[in-house]
Amino acid sequence: MAERRLALLICLLAFIPGAQAQRLAVDLSSSEVAISTGFSGAELLLFGAMEGYGDIVVTVIGPHRDEVVRRKERLMGIWVNGASVTFKGAPAYYRIAASRPLHEIATPEILDQLEIGVAEIELFTRSERTPAEIIEFRKALIRNKKRLRLYSEDIFDIKIVRDLLFRSTIPFPANVPIGDYEVNVYLFKDGKPISQQTTSLPVRKVGLEAQLYNFAHDQAPWYGAIAIVIALIAGWLAGVIFRRA
Amino acid sequence: MQIYLPIAEMSLNALLLLGLGGMVGFLSGMFGVGGGFLMTPLLIFIGVPPAVAVGTEANQVVAASVSGALAHWRRGNVDVRMGVVLLVGGFIGSTLGVWLFTFLRSIGQIDFVIAVAYVLFLGIIGVLMVVESTRSWFRARNPSAPRRKLHNHTWLHGLPFKMRFRRSKLYISALLPLGVGIFVGILAAIMGVGGGFVMVPAMIYLLGMPTSVVVGTSLFQIVFVTANVTFLQSVNNQTVDIVLAMLLVVGSVVGAQIGARVGEKLRGEEVRVALGLIVLAVCARVAWTLVATPEDVFSLGQAGEH
Repeated sequence: MAERRLALLICLLAFIPGAQAQRLAVDLSSSEVAISTGFSGAELLLFGAMEGYGDIVVTVIGPHRDEVVRRKERLMGIWVNGASVTFKGAPAYYRIAASRPLHEIATPEILDQLEIGVAEIELFTRSERTPAEIIEFRKALIRNKKRLRLYSEDIFDIKIVRDLLFRSTIPFPANVPIGDYEVNVYLFKDGKPISQQTTSLPVRKVGLEAQLYNFAHDQAPWYGAIAIVIALIAGWLAGVIFRRA
Repeated sequence: MQIYLPIAEMSLNALLLLGLGGMVGFLSGMFGVGGGFLMTPLLIFIGVPPAVAVGTEANQVVAASVSGALAHWRRGNVDVRMGVVLLVGGFIGSTLGVWLFTFLRSIGQIDFVIAVAYVLFLGIIGVLMVVESTRSWFRARNPSAPRRKLHNHTWLHGLPFKMRFRRSKLYISALLPLGVGIFVGILAAIMGVGGGFVMVPAMIYLLGMPTSVVVGTSLFQIVFVTANVTFLQSVNNQTVDIVLAMLLVVGSVVGAQIGARVGEKLRGEEVRVALGLIVLAVCARVAWTLVATPEDVFSLGQAGEH
């Protein structure tokens, strides 16, 4: 229901002269991703309206941080972590969706510039390994992230209705990293991005989960002390209950 | 019923965790062991990051051992003097262990060291258990076979700083229990166990303590050492997940009660052979993760690593 109402609203907005000048209007089914006790992943809906025909590309980029990629090596029959490469400021999450295959939408140069496509993600490293090796580690980072469903490419996920409305889903797995996400929607016409809208999307823990997480990180000694006290009480209580029974 | 674990940062089925706690609790109640050495590898098998499994398990062992420790304390089965010396060693060892853990984590080798420690200790303990109980099973049928001497004098008894432990009827160097304490403390920190499976044999065969005080004294020291590990892991690595620990505690206290009742009806040797075989099975499973060709030789470092 909420979905339909939103779609209707966007539909109406598209016909208001002021909104038409923007050529693009976008909204999300939720303004944040809240991780609470029952969280097992989430799916957000992205809605939009555009002026005239064109192609829509959506990228969702998670918080930037350092990612370490390690390579296991066989040592006397046992697999041990050996060489590693650290990529500075790699996005913790990346999703791309488009209405058509990317190479039909724009030239590689334009896509690269806008960081559109998993292959275009900017990954910087100070590692002194050979370029060939770094490419291998880079591929490994993307492959591992895809396996964790933290990087995803979904080319035909965007549905365009009558050259006016479009919608797409943004899936977040249960292990989604917390932080500030950026949702970028691009409108391409004849191979050129003619309009763009960026929405920020916070992913955060709420309720008890947030309190425990913050407590564990901000006041670690107290967290540790309380963990011990709870365990002592729980253990003692169990002993008392079962002795009576 | 999925539940989000705030520190592990993953979603797991709460019933699975309760069941896991119950199963390990059942075994620990039946065999009179802590269960940490089974729980930590099982948590890792279901996908909990090894560092979180170890930190959280230390917290669970606190809960699992406290009621037993209190019960033995009330019955006077704790050699307090011996316990305190073991404890001093335990504090030194576990502090060293957590420091080592933090260092290994920063260079990306902690998962490997945890796995190797498990293969080594589960392998040794499992083999010893099976051999020992098979032997005593045969002895029960053939009582004329020669018995092992309980107390041998070796160079260990020539060490300085001798102390009298009245409750254990021992006059030995304080360095012995101190050393045992340090060793078990390091294991507790790196493997997320109480260390009873190492300490109990060490107390009997190395220190020569009477069996009547061994279990009580070892539980006494385990409560404090695992509490120290819980605290230090929380401070240094933020790897103690209270939600996960509590689900495991609830499952394991119930399981332990049922296990203890079932255990009373079984014969000692058979129970020990069974436990030995379970230990060897877990050992084999952990060893497999080390030798099997990984699906992808590349892996991502966990958040918080550098």
